[in-house]
Amino acid sequence: MGRPESIELLPGTLDLLILKTLAAGAEHGYGIASRLKALSEDVLQIGESSLYPALQRLLIKGWVKAEWGASENNRRARYYTLTAAGRKQLGAEREEFDRLILAIHKVLNAT
Amino acid sequence: MRELIRRAWHIIRQRRFEEDLAEEMEFHRAMTQHEIEDRGVNPREAAFAARRAFGSVALAADRSRDVWIPRALQGLGQDFRLAVRTLFANRLVSFIAILSLALGIGANTAIFSLVNSLLLRALPVAQPERLAMVTGGGSPNQAYPYPTWEEIRKRADAFGGLCASLTTRFDLARGGEMQFVDGLSASGDFFATLGVPALLGRTFTAADDVRGGGPDGAVAVISYAFWQRHFGGAVSVIGTPVTIERVPFTIIGVTPPDFFGVEVGRAFDVAVPITADALMRGRGTFLDQFSWRLTVIVRLKPGESIDHATSTLRGLQPRIREAAMPLDWPARSLATFLTDPLTLVPAALGTSGLRHQYQRPLVILLVVVGLVLLIACANIANLLLARATARRHELSVRRALGASRWRIARQFLVESLVLSAAGTATGLAFAAWGSRAIVAQLSPPFVSRVALDLSIDWRVLAFTGAMAVTTVVLFSIGPAFRATQTVSPDALKAHGRGSVNERRAGFSGGLVVVQMALSLVLVVAAGLFLRTFGRLASRPLGFDAGRVLVLNVDVTRAHIEPANRLAFYLRLPRAVATVPGVAFTGGSLMTPVSGSGSNRFVDVPGAPSLPQMERLVVVNFVTPGWFAVYGIAVRAGRDIVDTDTDSTQPVVVVNEAFARRFYPGRNPVGASLAAPAPGRRDVPPLKVIVGVVADTVYSSLRESPQPTLFLPAAQWDFRVPFGGGSVSVRAASGSPATLAHGIAAALATVDRDLAFTVRPLTEQVDASLTQERLVAILSGFFGALALLLAGLGLYGVTAYAVFRCRREIGIRMALGAAPAGVVRLVLSRVTMLVGLGVAIGAGVSLWASRFVASLLYGLEPRDPATLVGAVLALSAVGAFAAWLPARRASRIDPAVVLRCE
Repeated sequence: MGRPESIELLPGTLDLLILKTLAAGAEHGYGIASRLKALSEDVLQIGESSLYPALQRLLIKGWVKAEWGASENNRRARYYTLTAAGRKQLGAEREEFDRLILAIHKVLNAT
Repeated sequence: MRELIRRAWHIIRQRRFEEDLAEEMEFHRAMTQHEIEDRGVNPREAAFAARRAFGSVALAADRSRDVWIPRALQGLGQDFRLAVRTLFANRLVSFIAILSLALGIGANTAIFSLVNSLLLRALPVAQPERLAMVTGGGSPNQAYPYPTWEEIRKRADAFGGLCASLTTRFDLARGGEMQFVDGLSASGDFFATLGVPALLGRTFTAADDVRGGGPDGAVAVISYAFWQRHFGGAVSVIGTPVTIERVPFTIIGVTPPDFFGVEVGRAFDVAVPITADALMRGRGTFLDQFSWRLTVIVRLKPGESIDHATSTLRGLQPRIREAAMPLDWPARSLATFLTDPLTLVPAALGTSGLRHQYQRPLVILLVVVGLVLLIACANIANLLLARATARRHELSVRRALGASRWRIARQFLVESLVLSAAGTATGLAFAAWGSRAIVAQLSPPFVSRVALDLSIDWRVLAFTGAMAVTTVVLFSIGPAFRATQTVSPDALKAHGRGSVNERRAGFSGGLVVVQMALSLVLVVAAGLFLRTFGRLASRPLGFDAGRVLVLNVDVTRAHIEPANRLAFYLRLPRAVATVPGVAFTGGSLMTPVSGSGSNRFVDVPGAPSLPQMERLVVVNFVTPGWFAVYGIAVRAGRDIVDTDTDSTQPVVVVNEAFARRFYPGRNPVGASLAAPAPGRRDVPPLKVIVGVVADTVYSSLRESPQPTLFLPAAQWDFRVPFGGGSVSVRAASGSPATLAHGIAAALATVDRDLAFTVRPLTEQVDASLTQERLVAILSGFFGALALLLAGLGLYGVTAYAVFRCRREIGIRMALGAAPAGVVRLVLSRVTMLVGLGVAIGAGVSLWASRFVASLLYGLEPRDPATLVGAVLALSAVGAFAAWLPARRASRIDPAVVLRCE
């Protein structure tokens, strides 16, 4: 099974996507990756060497926290939860992202 | 900030982090495998596929780690552990390195903390930068009489604040031998002007500073240290009575711990309002005299420049001066008094007599200890260099395995850092002890205590920190550079093979040369200061100081009328003479080598015409028998006798220096001269010379004997009443100290309340050399230390060279070289290094000696004997240090060495 290195993410968007994923509830690394893949209909396949450093970044910023818990198949898994600061950050980043997309749209649709 | 804490937490729990990450990623992989199996792939294939899908675990872990700690800093912990382990592995070497570094850094910190507290630190008062001191006549430490201060104070509105003070000693005893404490007489607004609040109770105010005492009577404020020492810090101290100069006072307040007054180097125990002097001295108080004693300090208004305040002061000067004039002064002195322009100088650092005396010696000592530290650094650099060379093999392997240059250089930096940190920490402890020991040296017994605030402030910390960093740079750059150079594949193979004639050891050779040169400079400096001290301590005094006690008596107390003081004083030597065991007694205004003196102009009819300054001679007032106490021979004529009184012919005894200058080739006995007391406007009768005595040292050991006039104390001719003097006592045999008790009893028969101090004369002579002794001891110590360090360094470099060249030496010996030849071979290179170092050091010494010229006595800055002695001492140490390893080289057994290889 090959790894179609899907599309290049805009810098910083991975953090935003992880925050968004966690907004639905606590999740482990594998869960985050598979949920992103599912939600994007296989377009976004996040490599582990991007996912885990990104999670460390969010930990340092204090936007997520990590706790060990039992997974659905009863294995020990590390669950990430959004903190209050993370929730705030998600809102802010989302607004910023919307504005960016809108701006790009405007440029592309200009005649 | 929180982020930093999280990062720091991460560093502490790094192992946990690694485990968490590994488990987390393994879970991820397992889940992926599970997912693939669900699609019907067999487990074995699925495991491979999952691993492939995951990619590099190491890469993911690396990148995750990089997020927490920048790549360039990773592994620092390892480096530290390795460094500490390396230091422990070579315990002796590390011990010597840390010890020499501790001595170097400690000495630097100790001297610098003295420099800091004496020369750099601002007074611990509110906004010290707005303080200025009133000066005049070009003198930096000017004092003013009380009447002048009163006039200045009346115009206080012109300034942001005004205060006056003087440091003195107060006797707290109720009778008998004095119990001195350091005193401060200060104007009422002193504490308010400086902005110093009371820690407990209140400080005194202008209302307390009135003659006869304020609303609370005679009040005193005590310092924090005195409060702790005498009252155990009890709060009940407020309102406690205390006897000061036999007068009852009430303690009203305690000052903050760091406040010591405005004179750096002195710290008061007890402070009283200036006007309290009238209570203590009665009609003899200095408040009514033109006695120049008060330091006047002005606080500038906010934003006001010092020049502006000076011009304000100058504008007020005529009125200040005219309102309080010493009317009985001669016209010429009065004119100077009126016109000498008052000037304000910045006083943020306070005043200090100590500063004036020790500025230069301290700066010189700072240079000396700086050089010692450089020598220590050179030693350690050589040590690390040797170690780097010894580890060439290991480093080459690491380089070959892909360690970056930075990583290897960093290893050396970290090792140096650990060394330096250990040395600095030890050095700080050493410095705290050292600076206190030096201050203790500055305060010999019987004199005012020298008190300096030696607490470590940001300046000392910055200085020490800068030194620690500088030392790291100095001794790690060479080895680190050398270590990163070793990339050649040869280094992987070559091991322990050097050549005696190797050129590559140039760097460590250079270090040896620098060490030798610096050591020579320090040894020369030590020699100069030790010889100066030796000359001063052994110079002929002209009198016999052994078995002599000096009693200083205070006759200015309120209960003795000023007019009766002289008669009272003249009774004292006679009373003491009756004590058993006393051989001679005599009173005098001055005692020799006390640092103070009195002088006046003389007019000798018929003498060669001399410029005015050569007619200025020093004066002492003595009682009959004083010359006998000091063993001063009467060369011609007679001693002063009891029949020389204020109703007989004024007489004078001169010394030989006086006779030589004013009566060359003649016998002066019987001649008359005019020597009026300064400040007298009448023309007193001529004095007749009745005797000539041998020359003696007058006020300082540095002076050659000066022309001196000895006048009978009974013929006191100053306008002002006699104010006190001393009584000198020679014991018939043995130690004079045993007489103290009998003397006290004898003095009590004259006046039960008499205040006096007892001090051996030898003590006084020794105390006059405090500065010279301190400089000699310290420079001698550091000179010896430099010598030792240089010897160690040379030994180390030579021993290491021999070790590296053991193979070549072995071959040479196998081929028939004689042991003596091997010794010569090893020594030839060392001799060249030492010779070069000594030559450079001699040149630097000759150039630098001019900076210490003013501290020397009896020898030229370029004293050849000192230079030759230093060169010999250094050469001897160098020869010994090099000879030990050379001898070992000559005993190498060729068979053993060659077999080992």
